[in-house]
Amino acid sequence: MLSRVAFRSAAARQSTSTAIAVRGSASDVSGVRDEKNFPRPVRGEPGKVRLGFLPEEWFQFFHSKTGVTGPYTFGVGLVTYLCSKEIYVMEHEYYSGLSLLLMVYVATKKLGPKVAVWLDKEVDAVENQWNEGRNETIKALEDAVKSEKEAQWRAEGQELLIQAKKENVLLQLEAAYRERLMNTYNEVKRRLDYQLEKTNLERRLSQRQMVDWVVSNVTKAITPDQEKQNLDRCIADLTALAARK
Amino acid sequence: MGFGDYPKEYNPAVHGPYDPARYYGKPDTPFSQVKLNEVGSWLARRNKTPSAMLGACSRAWWRWQHKYVQPKRVGMAPFFQLLVGSMTFFYVINYGKMKHHRNYKYH
Repeated sequence: MLSRVAFRSAAARQSTSTAIAVRGSASDVSGVRDEKNFPRPVRGEPGKVRLGFLPEEWFQFFHSKTGVTGPYTFGVGLVTYLCSKEIYVMEHEYYSGLSLLLMVYVATKKLGPKVAVWLDKEVDAVENQWNEGRNETIKALEDAVKSEKEAQWRAEGQELLIQAKKENVLLQLEAAYRERLMNTYNEVKRRLDYQLEKTNLERRLSQRQMVDWVVSNVTKAITPDQEKQNLDRCIADLTALAARK
Repeated sequence: MGFGDYPKEYNPAVHGPYDPARYYGKPDTPFSQVKLNEVGSWLARRNKTPSAMLGACSRAWWRWQHKYVQPKRVGMAPFFQLLVGSMTFFYVINYGKMKHHRNYKYH
């Protein structure tokens, strides 16, 4: 415990010196909050002590005049004086006090560190308990902010999705339009093909009719005389041909 | 200013949260910086009414509290200080009786 107190001397001395400096310069009554001269009090580190209870400042007071052993010399000299002149009377209670002092010293040295560890743990536990609600609230709020940001991010994604769906619908419309165009083209082509086929067929039929009619008429127009003449003519031609050979 | 009131120099609007270890009046020279020949006038300037003396004791008590008792991780120092202080106090008030237990006649 003493070592822990010794550890904190420097910080404690500094804080007290600044506190004194602030205390020296109090301000007027202007009605405005004076943060410079009257800062909000803060919980400091424990003051440093020597020999278990004597404030460090009393020793510092001696240092400039007597050096670091001065205060001890003064203390021992004072005690010697008080005892030798019997200003301090060593009656029976003095010896029981000595034994009590010994017991307190041993208890402090033996149990002190363990008790300090346990108490530090308790202090931390109590502080954590007091801060728990606040920290939980902060965490919950941070989580809420995070989830809200995530929800916003998701909403942005939703917009993208809607856009994609719109594009999809546009594509579908385009596809339907092209399909109908193709349909129209096919139907028109089918009708035109029909017309073409029909025209060709009619022409072919009429031509055949005409040929049949002409042939039958010509055949009808050939008389037996003509046929005979023709045959004769042929024979004559054949004869001529044979003669030429 | 009755019992339980703040000192009349204390103004919450200016001074903020009340610090019981603090003197809110007009500060004089600290006693540690007073020259020896000024001690008389310094003492004459002190307010010696009972309430002012009690206030000084209260501030000293709270200064001790803030320095040794109230910090987060204190050691045994304040308890030893209380112990030594009370031992000294009771020794002093019983000194008249203790004197009869002297062991030597001449010193």
